[in-house]
Amino acid sequence: MTDSSRERQADALVGELQRQGAGRLTIFLGAAPGVGKTYTMLARVRELRRTGTDAVAGIVETHGRSETAALLDGLEVVPRRRIKYTPLTGAPAGGAGHTLEELDLDALLARAPALAVIDELAHRNVPGSRHERRWQDVIELLDAGIDVYTTINIQHLESLNDVVHRITGVRVSETVPDAVFDRLRDIVLVDLPPRELIERLHQGKVYVPEQAAHALQAFFSPSNLTALRELAMQTAADRVDSDLREAQAARGLPGVPVRRGVMVAIDGRGSSEYLVRVARRLAERRDAPWTVVTVQSGDAPEEARQRELDRAFALARRLGGDAVVLHGNNIVDSLLDHASRSGASAIVLGRTRERPLARMFNRTLTQQLIQRGAHYELTIVSTPEARARSRRSWRATGSLLSRSDATLALAAAAGATALAWVAERWIELDDLSLIFIVAVVLVAARTRMTAAVIAAVSCFFAYNFFFIEPRFTLMIGARQGAITVVLFLVAALVAGRLASKLRMQVLALRAANSHATALQTLGRQLSTAGDVDAVLQAGRDALRRALDADAMLQAGEHTLHAHALDEKDRAAADWAMRHRQPSGRYTDTLAGSDWWFLPLVLGERETGVVGLRMPDGAARLGAEQRRLAEAMTEDIAQALARARLVADLEDARVGNETERLRSALLSSVSHDLRSPLASIIGAASSLDHYGQAMDEPDRRGLLETIRVEGERLDRYIQNLLDMTRLGHGGLTLNRDWIGVDELIGSAVTRLQRYEPQARFDVTIEPGLAPIWVHPALVEQALFNVLENAAKFSPPGDAVAVDARMIDTRLDKDALRIDVRDRGPGIPEDERRRIFDMFYSVERGDRGRQGTGLGLAITQGMIGAHGGSVEALPGLDGRGTTIRITLPRVEP
Amino acid sequence: MTEPSATAPRILVIDDEPQIRRFLDISLRAQGYSVEMADTGQGGLEALATHGADLVILDLGLPDRDGQQVLRELRQWSTVPVILLTVRSHEAEKVAGLDGGANDYVTKPFSAPELMARVRALLRTRVVATDAPPVFDDGHLHVDLVRREVTLAGHPVALARKEYALLALLVQHAGRVVTQPQILRELWGPTHEGDTHYLRILVGKVRQKLGDDAASPRWIATEPGVGLRFIG
Repeated sequence: MTDSSRERQADALVGELQRQGAGRLTIFLGAAPGVGKTYTMLARVRELRRTGTDAVAGIVETHGRSETAALLDGLEVVPRRRIKYTPLTGAPAGGAGHTLEELDLDALLARAPALAVIDELAHRNVPGSRHERRWQDVIELLDAGIDVYTTINIQHLESLNDVVHRITGVRVSETVPDAVFDRLRDIVLVDLPPRELIERLHQGKVYVPEQAAHALQAFFSPSNLTALRELAMQTAADRVDSDLREAQAARGLPGVPVRRGVMVAIDGRGSSEYLVRVARRLAERRDAPWTVVTVQSGDAPEEARQRELDRAFALARRLGGDAVVLHGNNIVDSLLDHASRSGASAIVLGRTRERPLARMFNRTLTQQLIQRGAHYELTIVSTPEARARSRRSWRATGSLLSRSDATLALAAAAGATALAWVAERWIELDDLSLIFIVAVVLVAARTRMTAAVIAAVSCFFAYNFFFIEPRFTLMIGARQGAITVVLFLVAALVAGRLASKLRMQVLALRAANSHATALQTLGRQLSTAGDVDAVLQAGRDALRRALDADAMLQAGEHTLHAHALDEKDRAAADWAMRHRQPSGRYTDTLAGSDWWFLPLVLGERETGVVGLRMPDGAARLGAEQRRLAEAMTEDIAQALARARLVADLEDARVGNETERLRSALLSSVSHDLRSPLASIIGAASSLDHYGQAMDEPDRRGLLETIRVEGERLDRYIQNLLDMTRLGHGGLTLNRDWIGVDELIGSAVTRLQRYEPQARFDVTIEPGLAPIWVHPALVEQALFNVLENAAKFSPPGDAVAVDARMIDTRLDKDALRIDVRDRGPGIPEDERRRIFDMFYSVERGDRGRQGTGLGLAITQGMIGAHGGSVEALPGLDGRGTTIRITLPRVEP
Repeated sequence: MTEPSATAPRILVIDDEPQIRRFLDISLRAQGYSVEMADTGQGGLEALATHGADLVILDLGLPDRDGQQVLRELRQWSTVPVILLTVRSHEAEKVAGLDGGANDYVTKPFSAPELMARVRALLRTRVVATDAPPVFDDGHLHVDLVRREVTLAGHPVALARKEYALLALLVQHAGRVVTQPQILRELWGPTHEGDTHYLRILVGKVRQKLGDDAASPRWIATEPGVGLRFIG
């Protein structure tokens, strides 16, 4: 169970519990005064009393009707309260004051029966009563645990006040809030056919308040009463259904609504919009979802039909229903399939056109649905057209047959005849019939059923006339021949029908296939599109190919081809984005634009737009094209969402990486900046305060410390600066010619200033030509490597530097510089990581040496030149070799 | 404008950092020079104009004016030797400064001996320029710029014309760096300023003939991205 359904169940259970604790309310509902609510109620109470229920009448209005009064017989009645009522304004009615009677609530509460009978729930209490309205009294009774029977007319329901006013022209002031109905246990609809009610009125059996007397006539008109009656029935039904749903929810059953969806099938042959409206009314009444469907079983329908379908679909969407186009060869199959899949419980059809032949074989749409759709409620709606048609005599065919089809059929017959005439010399008479059958099949394969029938009949007549004895008459001589001929006709018809069906199937498949192919292609392209721009481009290409339309897209700041829009197009596009609805051509909003805009839903609050301009400014958009465009737009929106997610993921990853480096930097700075400073400040302050007491070597020692540590600090800061230069991706190389020996020499010289005891053994391949690099960067890169090697080299041991040209596999030569030390070496798994920023190999006894930046900088600078740096085991497995490779580059 | 004085050479220090000024003051005075201070470019120019100096130490990172601009302005009316205080990573800055009229540079942070060596070199050249003929002799290498003779341990070294021109140029600026563009201009004229490849070959040849190793230079040192310096 999901969280929301769990919640609903809890609420329902609470509701039930609440109702169980309090008294239960039973309402006797009527459409109008006089239907017999009080009577029915009292009859019920009488029954209950017979079975022992302690029922008491709180207040019952008999209005002087003897039958009603008779039912009160034997029922305990709590005496009414007498209240003195002085009207505040105007002349008092009947003297200085007035004594009115009202329900004695306290007495009733004191009496505490099991059931209290309170008439006229909507009654406004006499001023001086505890509550202003009687329904409030009833609530109090219910809260006290007393069951209540009460009566009410439909027009007293607050939420229906407007409706009633519209129907009857009467606005009722005494209303009861719908919330009272929530305490309802039972509702009893007391119904009386309007005619009977009017009878009773005339007979004087209906109580009508004086004020309404003058409106009597209008109020009690048959139409009003019918409407009110329907309203009452609906309300009762609503209550029942909601109770059922709540009860089921309380028990944890998935709410099986009594009413399910409505499906209306249209074919575009007239009255489609009318049917849509009827379906909507039907659905609204049941508070059910509704769908408009049409089945396309072959080629696209012709212009007029398509237009009607489009209008009907648009209307359906506007009115809040769904619209679906089904593809299938068999209409009934498609309808029933969709109905079961979408959970419809009612199918609405218009009256189909007259097809007596089909009816004979029980094959009309209606008949088939009746036979096979036993689970569904079937509604056949009579349309204005159908009514008109039934008045006309049956005339043929119109849209059933196009002229070209008929021509083809006749031509085929003629052709077959000619062919048969020629072939008669070599072929038997019986076999000649096959030529005609082939002709019929060919016609059926290219046209529709009707043309095939015409072809079959024509061929039959031709065969008969030209070939069957006696010739050139339509008479059939031998009986055997007659049977053959008739069988031929049957065969022709069947073959024709089969071929025609097959053709329709193929066409339907083809249409579905092209739709699917377009979506598939789009899907493939979108899956490889990496970022938003790529998605937009793929989307645009696919839309243009599939719909043969010019396309523009916009998603957030990314736009594609948006410059093709002018002012009013732009306005339509913005509207579509704001309202998340299609706009522009082929819609009802800003239809003057040349473009059709579909919203691209990118997220909760974000919408893009897809704009399509059909070729040659097509005046109309086919339903098929529309669906394809909508489907593709959805795919594009999803791909954009995915691209967005990928970008966000990348940002998050980069953010994490940045965060890691930042914290590494901070810890490095805090340590490596502070340590030298600590030494400097320590040494300097020491000299300052205690220098007098020190001897010369000590003083010199401290001074050296200050100098050395200062230089260390300088190198560290320079490293950081170099890293910043590298990091900002904007390392511009100012290449120049420089000799390898010069670079090495400069680095060595510089290093020896800081580490005078460092020894270097430099070997340079003789005749090594100058290289084309950024001299200062490569020198610094070398410096860092040399510094590193000198640091780890055992004291007195020389660092070997070797420079030579090598041949790389890529048929280019490169400069290779190896720097070897014979120090402790680097474990294999760390040889890659030493080039990471802030990484330094942990040395147990010596602690952390260096900043961990030097080699990273070297890698960055060499890498910027297209070269590489790697760490290898040293000579004889001892120590480390750092290998720099720089590809040879010419200016 | 400035008069070489028999008394201690006067050095003008133009730097906005008080600690640097203090350190330079103490160090230079310890070497026997007399020191004057200025903490802005404008102030420095005024001091130079008013009192003159034998050498100017100019920081490029001044608060009121761009150091290069101060140098250019200074050069308009003075030929006093100038040492620039530069930041390490800006080679272009160094080259520009040297081309703009400075005589040498030290990179911050620098050690006192480094600076003193350069000061001495510049002051010496000054003196030398007015008196004795330019000759370099360190016991091993002997270069006579007047007689155009180069000998190595007594043996003459055969240098081609361009090779000699390069060596002579460097020796003339001994101790100071000569920028690459300057070398190219001097040797090949202004139109060949970009021909560094040929320069490399040339330097290589000179080194070879002198028996000098670029990897551990004895006389000719390369400052990558800047130029060459005769460090004999």
